[in-house]
Amino acid sequence: MRPLDWFVLFASLASIVAYGIYKGRGSNTVNRYLLAGKTMPWYAMALSIMATQASAITFISTTGQSYVDGMRFVQFYFGLPIAMVIIAATAVPIFHRSGVYTAYEYLEKRFDSKTRSLVSAIFLIQRGLAAGISLAAPAIVLSLILGWPDRVTILVMGGLVISYTVSGGIKAVTWTDVQQMLIIFAGLFVALGTAIWLLPRGVSLGDAVSLAGAVGKLNAVVLRFDLKDQYNIWSGLIGGAFLALAYFGTDQSQVQRYLTGKSIAQSRLSLLFNAVAKVPMQFLILFTGAMVFVFYIYTKPPMLFETAELRAAGGRLERSAYERAERDFAAAFERRKAAAGELVEARRNGEAAAAARGIERYNAAQQSMDDARARGIRLVERAAGTSGFNDTNYIFLTFVTRYMPAGIVGLIMAAIFAAGMSGIAAEINSLATVSVIDIYRRHIRSGASDRHYLWASRIATAFWGCYAITFAQYAKNLGSLVVAVNMVGSLFYGGMLGVFVLAFLFPRVRGTAAFIGVLAGEAAIFYCRWFTGISFLWYNVVGCAVVVTTGVALSAARREPGTRT
Amino acid sequence: MSEPGRAPMPDEPPPFLGSWRRVYAAVLVYLALLIALFYAFTRVFS
Repeated sequence: MRPLDWFVLFASLASIVAYGIYKGRGSNTVNRYLLAGKTMPWYAMALSIMATQASAITFISTTGQSYVDGMRFVQFYFGLPIAMVIIAATAVPIFHRSGVYTAYEYLEKRFDSKTRSLVSAIFLIQRGLAAGISLAAPAIVLSLILGWPDRVTILVMGGLVISYTVSGGIKAVTWTDVQQMLIIFAGLFVALGTAIWLLPRGVSLGDAVSLAGAVGKLNAVVLRFDLKDQYNIWSGLIGGAFLALAYFGTDQSQVQRYLTGKSIAQSRLSLLFNAVAKVPMQFLILFTGAMVFVFYIYTKPPMLFETAELRAAGGRLERSAYERAERDFAAAFERRKAAAGELVEARRNGEAAAAARGIERYNAAQQSMDDARARGIRLVERAAGTSGFNDTNYIFLTFVTRYMPAGIVGLIMAAIFAAGMSGIAAEINSLATVSVIDIYRRHIRSGASDRHYLWASRIATAFWGCYAITFAQYAKNLGSLVVAVNMVGSLFYGGMLGVFVLAFLFPRVRGTAAFIGVLAGEAAIFYCRWFTGISFLWYNVVGCAVVVTTGVALSAARREPGTRT
Repeated sequence: MSEPGRAPMPDEPPPFLGSWRRVYAAVLVYLALLIALFYAFTRVFS
């Protein structure tokens, strides 16, 4: 990073903190601190919802995902607009009219105290684990790029978030989310524009798109149905819809965003904005990754994008074998570049036979590159004593730091920091809300003054911020952090979604049936995790179905006291 | 302790298309068009 990049990065971070503290003024009652006094306009909530979901690791790894696997990851988001419509039509008016601080508070009104407490506990466990992981994941990647110890990056990100979240509550979180989302959008458009601008002379955008498509990177829609395949249109539409329903409809870190709305209509609009904007935004991020791939067809990529393990291997690495792998990789790269040139030329001239020959040569060269890289990885893993090497998260950042002009690198780093901070702020804010409203006020000290709960909320926010920083120090050793985040969420969301479906759609089901239903749903999800190969996107469907079936069946069989007839 | 508003919240109409049902339908039609567009994109460039 050059001085201009550092300036842009620090100016962006300082402005986020200053703006958060400024906008959070006047949060002097619990209602204002946790729900912004229900005064938020739709566009602020819309961008806050989007920023909360767009974690730094998603930003970093989505481009890498496209580089490695093409654009089919976009299908993961196809279910989101469906979920947004359902939530806008059902959950939003119910939550608003019941006058609650948390989604789980509503469960006591609808069912009973034990169901509320169970689901609150599930949320605290799930979101508490995710808070540390989602702070550690971007911090580790940024540490390697910025050359800082990861402990320092974790402290900087966590400390900045705590500074404005504790003082200003959700108002500060929401308005900084707006600012962070604008920085993210700017970073995204600049990254895409620069990736296209950096294509070599003589290669037009049309050529680049044609080439990316020919080598299988523009596979945005896959129609084949496969339960074990994470990304096809069916898992996206069905599994993705259930995941989005659970995340946006039952996770307090999202529900709290739209509970701040000044009216039901404003909250609905904020969700529908995401329904319309999210899929194209993900498409754009993935398309940027595809363009980075094309860039690296003409500019030799490093054999390994992440070199920490290579350095860790040190003298134990079989140097001559590794250098041979690097030479083979470089030679195969030259063949691939030549084949890509032939392919582009053939496509321009409409010569189908020449294009087919070009593809054949391209694939052969790509295979040789993959083989050489696999040999290199094996040598590094053997020397470093590690396994499961994965450098997907470093592809985009390597491209940014090596090839982008001064100032733009700083802007993109700021966008990644902003994406990380927005997610963490929402997490600690919602964890504090549930801790105070659903646990402290409900079970430990009820009937205290507003001032008392305001300070309890501030202390809880600071506690969860410090917890996230501390847990992140351990979470960094958990292995693949993206997998860990997805896995933690998918293990609990099905049960949470199921109980809200029972609450909204099955008026005859009462507390005990719902409580047992949640336990049965969680048991089914853990069974799927440990004893089947089903992709995690389907866990929410299974969990939700088991909760609803169990709740309805028990309710019919038991004729619980208070059951409406 | 201050409580969030429990006063009846009227179901205001959306600022466009006249009713929420129409807005929801428009979002779903938009999704279908987007998927069709992405499918065409996949086919054309593959």
